[in-house]
Amino acid sequence: MAVSWLSRLAARGPATVFPALGMQGEEAFYQLALHPEIELVDSPRHASLLLVAGGVPPELHEPLRRVHDQLPAPFTTLWYQSEPLLELQQAGVVRVDSLEALPDALVDAHRKVLRGELGVSPRLLVDEPPNPWRGLGDDGHGGEGMMGGVPYGRPMAMPPTQDLRDGLALDTLTFRLGPFFPLWPAGLEAEVILQGDIVQQFSVQSRPFPRAMSPVFFDAWEHAMSIARLERARVQYHLRALFHALHLAGLPDLAWRALRLAEACDRQTITALEKGFKDFERCLKRRGFFALHLPTCGTLNTEHAEALGGFAARAAGIEGDARRDDEGYRRLGFSAISQQAGDTQSRWRQRLAEVAQSLTLAARAQQNDAVTATTGVVETPRGVWRDERPGDASALLEKLLPGLEWGEALATIASLDVAGVSQWARP
Amino acid sequence: MILDQLIWPLLLVFATLGGGVYLLAVLDGLAARSFGLPQAQSVWLLPLSRGAWLLSQQANVTEAPDWWGWRLAPALYLTLAAIGLALVPWSRDWVATDITTSLVLWGSVEALATVVIFLQGWSANTHLALIGAYRYVALGLSYILISMFVLIGVTLPAESLALTQVVASQQELWNVLRQPLGLPLFLIVGLSITFRGPFNLADSTDLAGGTSVEVSGPQRLVWEFARSAMLVAFSGIATTAFLGGWLGPWLPGPLWVMLKMLAVLAILAWLGRWFARITPERCISLMWLALLPLSFIDLIWAGVEALL
Repeated sequence: MAVSWLSRLAARGPATVFPALGMQGEEAFYQLALHPEIELVDSPRHASLLLVAGGVPPELHEPLRRVHDQLPAPFTTLWYQSEPLLELQQAGVVRVDSLEALPDALVDAHRKVLRGELGVSPRLLVDEPPNPWRGLGDDGHGGEGMMGGVPYGRPMAMPPTQDLRDGLALDTLTFRLGPFFPLWPAGLEAEVILQGDIVQQFSVQSRPFPRAMSPVFFDAWEHAMSIARLERARVQYHLRALFHALHLAGLPDLAWRALRLAEACDRQTITALEKGFKDFERCLKRRGFFALHLPTCGTLNTEHAEALGGFAARAAGIEGDARRDDEGYRRLGFSAISQQAGDTQSRWRQRLAEVAQSLTLAARAQQNDAVTATTGVVETPRGVWRDERPGDASALLEKLLPGLEWGEALATIASLDVAGVSQWARP
Repeated sequence: MILDQLIWPLLLVFATLGGGVYLLAVLDGLAARSFGLPQAQSVWLLPLSRGAWLLSQQANVTEAPDWWGWRLAPALYLTLAAIGLALVPWSRDWVATDITTSLVLWGSVEALATVVIFLQGWSANTHLALIGAYRYVALGLSYILISMFVLIGVTLPAESLALTQVVASQQELWNVLRQPLGLPLFLIVGLSITFRGPFNLADSTDLAGGTSVEVSGPQRLVWEFARSAMLVAFSGIATTAFLGGWLGPWLPGPLWVMLKMLAVLAILAWLGRWFARITPERCISLMWLALLPLSFIDLIWAGVEALL
């Protein structure tokens, strides 16, 4: 009786969901982040539901199983536009293919699993260390003497190596994160070596999934396209990226506001969007997003900035922008904005300035029904797309992140778009 | 004897713990709503359903944790918060633990909190939790020093280390006016030791939850409860040390203490949501280069004022 009362009370709370994003899973993520009855969490230990959104390639099934087994009982899984793992197909998991039906399905599954009306997801892996114990010594230190060894397959904290920042040498800590780590791009897996909380080494093990763009950028590549629509899509892209940075900064209400503005880009008037964005930008400054949180490091050198292109290059003083060569944009008085520093903070200043510029351009374009004049080239929010779409640039993280503190490294990753552009447009 | 010295004090501490933590959760929900965040349900019900959800969950296990440390750390943090609350005088005679060195005991609570928070992060035997623990240890000393300097400041006019005497010394003028730097500095320490808002570096989002990233179920409930309880204890000490404790017109003393504690908690809940999280390097600089010198000035101010 008491348990039943407790379960009923528990079921009234928000559905706590750990999102494991596969290919093209972001759309579901952004919709759910706005839903008041759904709480997206960063650790599988803090969830009652595992949402697998988008396709997961077979080579990532094993990491997915490991994430799955970290959820504390009682829990269940939902698969959005994704094929459930073979061993779960017999367990009667919920599969949803409609984005409109997904939030309700999650809330319903959360309530049912807590009330015991839905079968609990079974464990998929044997509950034992992934690697055998290979240590020596009575204290289980794992190696010969106090040096080396790989207890449970993990290297021990090793004697100090040269510190990259202040000369204070600490033991190094090696671990792998990803490919379903929610605080960096979906699909990215990396081996990280830290000394204290300073990144000593960052080795990319698997690249992030290509990111799906709005179909308007594909249309603009093929034929003349309304500039107002293109710029609205650009604003939406940057505001969605800002959601992640604000979440990292511990500003959930501003993250939510950024996303709400992003989702309003398709339907609100430009005047309303401009007003909303101005208020929002003031809040960002007042609440210490730049002064307290964003680091002035993660500076791209010219080679990396050119390789990455787009706003990241412009934030580093490289003024390349395909819109300058388009007659339609020239008629609207477009000129490229740029910064000089090329660091994490200036990338966000650049992005915010570009959002404001895009809204101004959209307002002018709407008055004249302006369209693009050039085909076969388009300035996507990720960079210029001429013969090839902007490709993956995650390898540059290996050069960029060593020497940064962990929080600075994550803020730097959030300020960049290292995933390539998918060949498929967003649905 | 047993009733006066054991049962009533225990009941008082438990009631303040339960009621204070619940009201803090409600205030935090109201703060979230005032910032425009939509709520799934009433702010009064949300803390209860969250507690019930965590109680219904399994307490998970990591690979080769330090079992004793991992299971005990949340309970130890809660115990420290309870010790802090036991020191808060609700009136001249109504104090759970009225000792002559209550401010020294509070200082030890702050110092031991560093050990317990490190234990929570370290004993899970996982990387992100360990980074959270490292961060707290790196910053904890600066928090404690600031707290100690401002609290020594309030003992000077009282000429005593007992919190009841500190309240009595504010009969004519509250310390918040007598030593204007003290309360703001102490509130910052409160946010830091309970790692909330801009100073949430141990359990932060960039660590996916930091020291509690691997914790679920009842163990997580105790940890979250203990963090809130520590903030309630902080508000109690702040009320006593700077806001005149039970002193106030018309209303009974305990009611004044409660109202002042709620006001402090509301300010802390709002401040915790207003600012972005500071980077560890900026936090170190802020503490050692700005706030610690300010706490020296506060102490000198208090000393000069006591001599005059």
